[in-house]
This record gives sequence, structure tokens and C-alpha cells, in this order.
Amino acid sequence: MILRVGLCLGLTAEMVQQLKDNGVRTVMDLVSSDLEMIARKCSLSYKALVAVRRVLLAQFSSFPVNGADVYEELKSSTAILSTGSKSLDKLLDGGLYTGEVMEFTGSPGSGKTQACLHIAANVSKSLKQGVLYIDSTGGFTATRLLQLLQGRTEAEEGQVEALQRIQVTRVFDAYRLLDVLHEFRSTVAQEVIRASAPVKILVVDSVSAVICPLLGSRQPDGMALMMHVARELKTLAKELGVAVVVTNHVTRDASSGQIKPALGRSWSFVPSSRVLLENGKESCGKTSGCRIASLTKSPRQTTGFSSLNPLLYGSSHSGAALVSSPFVPRLFVRVTNARPRLPTLPWQWSPPLRIVWLAGRARGGAWRPGSASARPGPRPLLSRWLSQSEFGLLWRRTRSGGEEGRRTDP
Amino acid sequence: MKEKAAALPVPREGKEPAPLGRSGAGTIGGSVPRPRTFFMEQRDLGSFSLPPSLRAKLVAAGFQTSQEVLDVRPCELSKEIGVSKQEALEILQVIRGDCCGNGGSSGNTARKYTALELLEKEQDQGFIVTFCSALDDVLGGGVHLTKVTEICGAPGVGKTQLCMQLAVDVQFPECFGGLAGEAVFIDTEGSFMVDRVVDMASACVQHCQLIAEVHPEEGHQAALETFTLENILSHIYYFRCHDYVELLAQVYLLPDFLSEHPKVRLVVIDGIAFPFRHDFEDLSLRTRLLNGLAQQLITIANDHTLAVVLTNQMTTRIGQSHSSLVPALGESWGHAATIRIILHWENKQRLATLYKSPSQKESAVPYCVTPQGFRDIQLPPPDLAENKTNPRKRPREEEQ
Repeated sequence: MILRVGLCLGLTAEMVQQLKDNGVRTVMDLVSSDLEMIARKCSLSYKALVAVRRVLLAQFSSFPVNGADVYEELKSSTAILSTGSKSLDKLLDGGLYTGEVMEFTGSPGSGKTQACLHIAANVSKSLKQGVLYIDSTGGFTATRLLQLLQGRTEAEEGQVEALQRIQVTRVFDAYRLLDVLHEFRSTVAQEVIRASAPVKILVVDSVSAVICPLLGSRQPDGMALMMHVARELKTLAKELGVAVVVTNHVTRDASSGQIKPALGRSWSFVPSSRVLLENGKESCGKTSGCRIASLTKSPRQTTGFSSLNPLLYGSSHSGAALVSSPFVPRLFVRVTNARPRLPTLPWQWSPPLRIVWLAGRARGGAWRPGSASARPGPRPLLSRWLSQSEFGLLWRRTRSGGEEGRRTDP
Repeated sequence: MKEKAAALPVPREGKEPAPLGRSGAGTIGGSVPRPRTFFMEQRDLGSFSLPPSLRAKLVAAGFQTSQEVLDVRPCELSKEIGVSKQEALEILQVIRGDCCGNGGSSGNTARKYTALELLEKEQDQGFIVTFCSALDDVLGGGVHLTKVTEICGAPGVGKTQLCMQLAVDVQFPECFGGLAGEAVFIDTEGSFMVDRVVDMASACVQHCQLIAEVHPEEGHQAALETFTLENILSHIYYFRCHDYVELLAQVYLLPDFLSEHPKVRLVVIDGIAFPFRHDFEDLSLRTRLLNGLAQQLITIANDHTLAVVLTNQMTTRIGQSHSSLVPALGESWGHAATIRIILHWENKQRLATLYKSPSQKESAVPYCVTPQGFRDIQLPPPDLAENKTNPRKRPREEEQ
């Protein structure tokens, strides 16, 4: 932040000029430098400088927020959006959480785009919420989306309405992607577009397609840009309360020959849950339409530590006569104990959510120091809101209402 | 619900930049009222497509967000960060253009469509038929426009034949259910055989004449007058690229060529793998170039409403237990194409397998390569061709 007149009380024009002449240009410079030195060099009053610094510090620091308040906030602002596939919902502990980034990763043809289209169709049709679909690979096919919707409803008006709730943008490079994300953030913040349903889910298919061309072989900018995208997605998710779904490619690890998600380790911290999609050809015999989804990172569910939750879902092709008849758009699942091939990674829990949980427990009275062992894992508390409500949107509202729900939790 | 979402960042919003963003902009930012929003002003400079040198200078001068830059006039900015006035103006234009959303070059890409509009668009645009009805069915009508289709296969299985066939087919007159387009053929392997194209083109012309005889309609004859061998050949624009530099240069120059030739509906790159499979020591550079190429191709396909068809070679992946034949250029290239077809031999039969597609089921169909071109398997070529194509043609003509 550049120092200038009007930034804070007591910062006058001549002060700014004097500071600038002596190389103090930004708030950062002022706050981090030795004030006595500056006062001498710029022949400014030390007292005035201290006052200005105090004001600036107050202005730019953030409030401490009570954990209980954060929890209240979370309960009132978080929704769990069903993906439309029971098994996938189970894998993700209820569905897609607003305020979080979820990632599908998988080899070509493993069904990432299908999963995105499927989620878009479900959120738009069954939950009647808006979807923003950012397509960076040309994979979005409206015809397929229509097929998915036709599987859900016979009524044409319903299909048309659902199609209208899905907004699609095609961007093919990272700067355009950032433009779109910014524009989205500002339009929602301004509440300009209120004619349609509020956008509750943002799909970026695929995020690696736009970032990969910038990475590798001494490209310092690529990394920075990737982090910009990451920060933007996370901020969008948190501030606007949307669930973000991204897809990522896989690459083959040079040493082990196993597949791993693209974009490297620094990206792996960005999505709070990651789902690996695989072609199930090897593991389920001849049925080639079979796919396996396994959770490799999640803030709530156990992943690779003990048993993964791989699940099978038919890739919704029901026959050869595909052109004329829409194929059944159901993802069906069988939970198995097959081990996924991806080595699971040790970063499993996302710290912010964990804090929230603890805070909420203390408040609800269920959790006391020392009784932590009674309920292993922080998961059950959240799952009490996983019941049906209208439109399938599960709003966490009351603290009191939660008490009964907790008992029903397995 | 909206209030809740908006209420989330309240503590920050309340105290952070209220004087800067709203009132401050008016007093300090000069006389030009800009329709900017709070969030956009806070956009980090790193997210703009500025040249790295200029960005470094901006950062060194203490600028971090776009709003700070926008509040400065070009002259002040040039003095402030030590660049020419021209450059300062350009910086401001980039940031302002991006900030105000759809200004300038970002106009068409940043446009939002609803899925309904896209559905209408998709259904309006036709397909490029392959002349193998089984393959057309598998692909959902033919090769899709605005998509990148990759054809992989071992040598001699018919990749180039299919490409040449498509280059001819894209020119089918509209009244016969075609696109009446033109084709760009970028050849890296030197496998383009013009005499084969002549064979295929004359078979096509003959085929149209047969249709015109069976269904005498007005328009058919007129269309046939222009649908001749010479016209077909002259509407295939052939580029020969010898190495990857030439190929990349050609692809990056293609948008200019395409704006001069707006009727081009097909871009074929025969042999994407060949130039990239040797001369590369730095594999990460190769990956980066390929990824960039893929994004450039899909941009072209989308901006000019055309189909991009690539061919790729196969390579052997050595596994622990068994080795398998997989498309070349590695795992990450597999994501580049939207649709992937693998051509392979099985028991002396040529098979085309749809391996990846956003809209169609994976399946395999047989095909064959005849003197007339790429065809369905069961037909003895010459006189049954008409029977075969009619049922396929009719529905498309009804649509129009």
C-alpha cells in the first residue's frame, strides 16, 4: 500500500513528500523502518511519525475473532451441496461444502469432465442453484449436459431452466482466468446480476490446462501466477460462500512410474479435498464403464491412513445406441476395500476448520478437555446437519437443533 | 442467503480500505470517474499480463494493487517508476482494460454464456463426417467443431488417410449436409499424398453426383458445379513444417491466416508427435511447449469455430508385468485433446476406438481404408456407397 494523503489521520502531503524523497514509499516501508532515523533524515516530528504508525497498524491489522463466533458464522453460511451421486456424497462427507475448494484429478478419460458436468447438472436441476462453469479445455458439451438433465426430468421447462442457471465461460489462458474470477467476485459483491439464481458453485475445468503452459524450465512467473489463481479461488470460496470444484491433470512420476496429480506440491495445499478418479478397468474386470473415485485428501474424512473409501461408479453409459438415447446419468457406487494406487499424502487436516470444530464443541458442551478420546476424530459433529431439507441445501442453523442429530450419528 | 455471503468479510471490509476505495478515489484519483468496483481495485498486479520487467519496476516502486496504479496519471507513473510515457500508458491500459471487464481484446473470451445458449450453438454447428458411418455414430455425428480431436495409432493404420479424408469431407456443399468449409493441413512428417487426396476427392464428387441423380433437387446441380476436384484441392491449404520451431511458429501465426480465410473449418496437424520426439534434451521445456500449444489450439478452435484434428504416434510403455502400446508424448499430453481416437489393428481388422470424449461413450468400431478413402467395413466399395450414405445423410438434411 503506497503512502499518500488521506490514507490515515495525520499523514499530510508534505510528510508524504518528505518520506518519499527518503525512500519510504509504502506502508510496509514506514512500519518496518526505524522511526528515529526517519525522523532525523526527513526532519519530521518523531511524535507525528509514531502516531501515524500507530494509526496505520491499527488500520491494517485484522480483528481477533472469537472462535464461537466463527462457528456461528460457519453454521449460518455453510451449505452442503449434494453432488447427485450418493457414493460421491458419502466420500465427501455429505457433498460439496461451500467455502472449500475440491479437486478432481485423474488421467485422460477418467471422467473428470463428466463429474463436473454431473455436479453442474445436479446443483442446477435438483438444488435450483446457479453454477458458473469455467471451461479451459473445450470439454464442456452442452449436449451432454442436456442428456444428464433429461435423465433427471422429463419436463422440458425444467431442463431449460436448469440450463439457464448454468453460466459458462471459456478461457484458455491464466490471465483470462483471473479476469473472469475477478469479474465474478465483483459482480457478486455488487449484486449486479440478481436476475438469476445466486451462483453457489464454481467449476474450473481444468485449472492445470491454463497453468501448465507457464510452468517448467525456468519460468518464475508461472509459480506466482499459479498462486494467484489459488488465492483467488480460495478467497472466492470463502468470501462469497461458493463451493469451488477444480480439475487437475495427472503426470507420471519419473522415478516411481506412478501417476500423481499435476502442478506439484505447492498446489497440493490449495484444494481442501482431492478425489482421484481412475479408469476401473484393471480392478473391476471387463466392465469398462466402471470408474473408481478415491479420496486422497480431506479435512473431514479419513483417507489413506487406514482405509480409503474407493468407490465405483459406472460412467453412466448404458448402451451402444448412445446417439439417439440419452444415457443414464447416474453414478452408482459400491464401497470396496480396494487400495488406490496413489500414495496418500500426510497433509490431511486443514487447520482452520479444525479450530472451528473445537470451538464449536466447547460451546455445545459436548466436548470437554479430557473427554476427547470418547469420540475419535472431529468428524461426527459436522455430520449432524447431513439430513434432508428443502432443495437439498443443508443450512446449519441452530445450535440447539444439533443436539438430537448428534445422537443419531453412527 | 446473499446477505450472509456478503456479511462474511464484514470485519475486514469495515475498517480496511473504506477511505481508499470509495471516497479516496474521487479526491486523489483525478477527475476521471471510473466505474470500478471495490474488489477489482484490490487486484494484485501480479495477476495482470504485464511484461515482467515493467511489473518488477512497479513492485519496486511500491505498487501492489491495481487501484494504486489506476489512481496515478500516465505522466506521473512514468516518472514514478522510471519508464517511458508510452510504456506507462500501456501499463494503465492493460490494467484498466482488464479491470473494466470486457474491454479490448478480452472481449470475446470473457463472455459468459448460459448453457442453453451454448446448446443452441452446438446444435447449429454441424459435424465433419468421416465417411465411415460407424465412426460417425461413435463420435456423435462426426468430428466436432470447436473441439480438438486427437487420432493416435501405429504406423500404417490409417491416421493420415483419415486426415486427408476429413480435409476433403469438410468441403461438402451445404445442400448435401456438409459444411462447405475449407481445410488447413499442417504436415510435419511429409506424409501428405496429394494423389490420394485426388482419389478421395473424385470419389466424393462422384458420390455427390449419385445423390443428385437419386434425389434431383434444385440446388444440388448448382452446388455440384462448384464442388469439383480442382476446387477441392485449391481449398486445402497445405503447410509443411520441418521441425518443432516451424510448427509452433505456424500454429501461433494461424489466427492471422484464419481471419483472412474465414471459411476454414478444419485444421489438421498431421504428426504432432514427430517434431517433439527428438531434439529435446530438456523434457520440462517440451512439456511446457506442448501444453502451450494445446491451449493455443483450443483457442483457435473456439475463436474460429473450427475443428482441430491432430495425429499422434504410439509408444511402448514398459510396465512391471507387461508392456503396452500407449499414445506418445506422455501422460500430460493426454489431457490436451478433448476427444481421443485410437486406431489399431486387431486380427487383420482395423479398429477405431473412442478413448476419451466428453459426450460419447467409449467404444470400438471397425473401419477400412479403400482406394476411395476412409470407409465402413462391410461395403464392397463402388456401387454400394450410395446405399450406405443415404440413411446417414437424410436426417441431417431434415434438420436444416
